[in-house]
Amino acid sequence: MTDYGHDLQFGVFITPTNNPAQHAVDLAVVADRAGLDLATFQDHPYQPRFLDTWTLLSYVAARTERIRLSGNVINLPLRHPALLARSAASLDLLSGGRLELALGAGGFWDAIEAMGGGRLTPGESVEALEEGIGIIRQIWHTDQPGGERAGGVHVRGRHYTVDGAKRGPAPAHDIGIWVGALKPRILRMTGRVADGWLPSLGYVEGGPAGLDALNAHIDAGADAAGRSPRAIRRLLNIQGRFQPANGGLLQGPAAQWADELTEIALNHGTSGFILASDDAATIERYAHEVAPAVREAVALARGEAAPVSPR
Amino acid sequence: MDNNYGHPLRFGLSLRSSAPAGMAERVALAEDLGYDLVSVPDAGELDAWSVASWLAAGTGRIILSPLVSLGEHNPAVLGRAAASLDLLSGGRLELGLTLDSDSDSDAAALGEAIDVIRGIWEGEARAALRYDGEHYQLHGAAGGPRPAHRVPIVVQGADASMMHLTGQRADGWLGAEPDGNAIVDAAARAAGRDPREIRRVLEIEQSDVPSTAWAAQLLPLVIGKGVGDILLRSADPAVIRRFITEVVPALRQAADLALPGLSTAAPVRPAAALARRVAGIDYDSIPLTLAAIEPGDHDYATVHSTYMRGGSPGLVLRPHTAEQVTDAVAFARRHHEVPLGIRSGGHGISGRSTNRDGIVIDVSALDEIEVLDTERRLVRIGPGARWGEVAAALEPYDWAISSGDYGGVGVGGLATAGGIGFLGRAHGLTIDHLRAVELVLADGSRVRASASENPDLFWAVRGAGPSFGIATAFEFEAAAVPGVGWAELVFDASDTAGFLEKWGATLEATPRDTTSFITLGGARPGEPLLARFSAMVDSDDPETIISRLQPFADIAPMYQQSVQVLSYARALMPAQGEANGGSGEPHSRSGLLEHVTPEFARAAAGLLGSGASYFFQIRSTGGAASDIDPDATAYAHRSAQFSVAAMGASAERLDRGWAALEPAFAGLYLSFDTATGPDRVAAAFPPRTLERLRALKAQYDPTTLFRDNFAIRPATAPATASGSTETRAAR
Ligand SMILES: Cc1cc2nc3c(=O)[nH]c(=O)nc-3n(C[C@H](O)[C@H](O)[C@H](O)COP(=O)(O)OP(=O)(O)OC[C@H]3O[C@@H](n4cnc5c(N)ncnc54)[C@H](O)[C@@H]3O)c2cc1C
Repeated sequence: MTDYGHDLQFGVFITPTNNPAQHAVDLAVVADRAGLDLATFQDHPYQPRFLDTWTLLSYVAARTERIRLSGNVINLPLRHPALLARSAASLDLLSGGRLELALGAGGFWDAIEAMGGGRLTPGESVEALEEGIGIIRQIWHTDQPGGERAGGVHVRGRHYTVDGAKRGPAPAHDIGIWVGALKPRILRMTGRVADGWLPSLGYVEGGPAGLDALNAHIDAGADAAGRSPRAIRRLLNIQGRFQPANGGLLQGPAAQWADELTEIALNHGTSGFILASDDAATIERYAHEVAPAVREAVALARGEAAPVSPR
Repeated sequence: MDNNYGHPLRFGLSLRSSAPAGMAERVALAEDLGYDLVSVPDAGELDAWSVASWLAAGTGRIILSPLVSLGEHNPAVLGRAAASLDLLSGGRLELGLTLDSDSDSDAAALGEAIDVIRGIWEGEARAALRYDGEHYQLHGAAGGPRPAHRVPIVVQGADASMMHLTGQRADGWLGAEPDGNAIVDAAARAAGRDPREIRRVLEIEQSDVPSTAWAAQLLPLVIGKGVGDILLRSADPAVIRRFITEVVPALRQAADLALPGLSTAAPVRPAAALARRVAGIDYDSIPLTLAAIEPGDHDYATVHSTYMRGGSPGLVLRPHTAEQVTDAVAFARRHHEVPLGIRSGGHGISGRSTNRDGIVIDVSALDEIEVLDTERRLVRIGPGARWGEVAAALEPYDWAISSGDYGGVGVGGLATAGGIGFLGRAHGLTIDHLRAVELVLADGSRVRASASENPDLFWAVRGAGPSFGIATAFEFEAAAVPGVGWAELVFDASDTAGFLEKWGATLEATPRDTTSFITLGGARPGEPLLARFSAMVDSDDPETIISRLQPFADIAPMYQQSVQVLSYARALMPAQGEANGGSGEPHSRSGLLEHVTPEFARAAAGLLGSGASYFFQIRSTGGAASDIDPDATAYAHRSAQFSVAAMGASAERLDRGWAALEPAFAGLYLSFDTATGPDRVAAAFPPRTLERLRALKAQYDPTTLFRDNFAIRPATAPATASGSTETRAAR
């Protein structure tokens, strides 16, 4: 029974197909207009049917006004952290502070290796991700406490060596680093160094109730690093279908969805619900019928004043 | 042109990244003012790739040229990113590549990166790319996506190794060191390239000198150093404006005076592409008005093959008007000795609308659909339109033209051969609705044929059209078809012969408003043979529909059924997948049948049992198609009630199995048969019809220019006097 007390966010997870090329762009615009908080795209750089996620995020940034953007999740093994840090800060500046950085340690090692990436064991990949996050934060960190411009970044890690890489640019806002994680070791790492956690509900054993055990690993990692578990936002990729009758979790009318997501938010700590959808009507319905109802119910249960709807 | 490389001048803005709003404004200004490109160096604070992608979304015309420092980029990822940006921007990317100035200038790594990037761009998704470089490796990565256009790679670098690399592999060089051209050119020649393949790009600082003086300063760079692209580095809107409105016109004028024709020069064809040209084709005489695609062109990948067949033509001509078709035919006439294919929708089975080392005239751009007369339901349709598009265009009128069953098939090939479709028994063949056709004949003349104009030709086109000319427009009379009953059932056809016989008998007893096709084949060992049954009832009345289908329900155990009322357009199978992804050669046989006799059914069951055919289909025809006098059109087998077609992986096995069916057939439908030779032509056209066709062929195409689809031999001896003159003239 956990609620970390974060404000609620609602987003979409859009397939970045490259045929037609504007498909994902158009849906992100729909989500932006509908008032959702986040538009996210998966990142599989070895998949030739998808648009490159970074290119898409940058393009979408110019087509949207308010919505925040993120990969879901960015494939670190094929994107060097120093490069990623610079790209992310650049895009954050270009978008007026609307970028978040959700990272993954990599999973499809055959495909990664085929692209010239190195094959890592799961343990190594977590280690590499932690090193990478450290490098990213250093590149973003342009000013010394005294206001002096900091010197180059030097890291001699097991997985990355950075020799005096130039710092900057500094992002427009404090970009959240979120981690897509399911296993204890990477969850503890998430608790230690990340700002958020972004798993997919479909992979969580035991459904929403299964989140509790995973949250506990993150909390333990945070504790061990002397951080508050509240420093880590808990997000969740979800799948669902609007239909007249209740056919199971997130298979039913909007009111049923709202009840179910409220329950997950209050009891399992999730404060960001990202719906996988490539359908404009579903995205709009989620934004207009589900998101406000969950916000209201959660505020009520938390004893907060009812939130002002973003629209 | 010794010191110029023949590239028409282009002008760009070299952006220094700064505050986003300011950048967007300057780029919008540059686009408005007519700058050709914007170059985004990685040297600023912001990542060039993110900036260029972001700018792409806010612009519509200007070319985007991010200059990426290779650094930690994975080149395969960069290749996909570049293809993505090209797709998102509608083909506006030019990829700049360079090395970090403080790195050890490893040009070899950059060269490998270029190989990898181009490999990704060329690769088919199915291809497993392998690259074993010193710096970069691919171990079976998927290729693709293909960019929207051929993305040029511009290399920046001033030291000799980068100039070498540029000469070997790049499409542009941003550096323009005074003597660098010599190194670049030598490296290009050593690599078997033409130095003119490489565009020379120069970045200049803004200047305070008056505009004419500024232009005069720049002129020697153009005529002496061969600079083709000039990038202005400026953040000052006044300078940005003055440069393009005052300096550039003066410079262009002076450059055109010094180098006449520069502003209209066509880019030189890369040596590698020239090497892929075919010996028998005179590429230099292709009329300039004609869009032409040859091996080595970016678009070649999308035109060399068709839906059913792999090919590698030496030239694909794509006329956009009937007049241009005439030009294309004239060009083809001068090349009588190479294969000639005519292509509309690219779904030919019998029609060789692609070939090896030959010419293809592709009229897919002539795809207009226009309603001429709502009273008479007259519709004018270009050969490049697809039947799915035609059906969709007629849907709002509650009209339909009986076509084939598949939305992707082109109008040109089907409407010149017959057209056996789901409204066949109710409305007849597609050609039975044709009222007029416009053609370009072998001699290049443009004619109209109808019942009253060139009636002989009109007769011939309806069944043997591909032998007589290239249709450039059709006029059809559509039928009122407000809605149809559409059934898809799946039967157990384990008792194959019994099933076929019962289906045939049931069909013949069903009113002609109903047309049905059955498809069998491809059963896996151990699975029962299934028959997919489809039927269309030309009625939107549910009771009529059910009463027509009811008798079929009992012919065999049924696994699935779906019956609905919908528009003709919705009933057609939508075009799926790549229209031009064919490879290899299809093997298909056709036969026309009066009745599904027990003997035929047994023979067909034997063919299916042998596994020689993975696709076996019987279509009902007849009905309204049989009302037409066999002498009224070149398609003459009017008494046939069924059209049978079989496809097999091996031609020999298919032919062996098919031989047992032959005795039952009376003729064939040419569109479903891939075999060639006089006996097949004779099976397609009964003697009286063939005789008339041969006489007309002698009149309209005596040299047999059009011969890619059941070619008719002209009545006179093959080598007529005019034929040999023609051939000599082409030499
Ligand atoms: C999936 C599929 C489904 C089919 N279904 C049916 C069906 O239901 N009923 C049916 O009758 N047929 C059907 N066919 C056969 C089809 O009608 C023929 O293959 C037809 O030639 C395809 O036309 P196209 O324009 O797409 O083909 P293309 O490949 O462009 O052309 C094929 C041939 O037609 C000739 N031709 C093309 N354009 C012109 C022109 N403008 N003027 C003169 N001649 C020209 C040429 O000889 C050319 O080689 C089907 C074929 C396929 C592949």
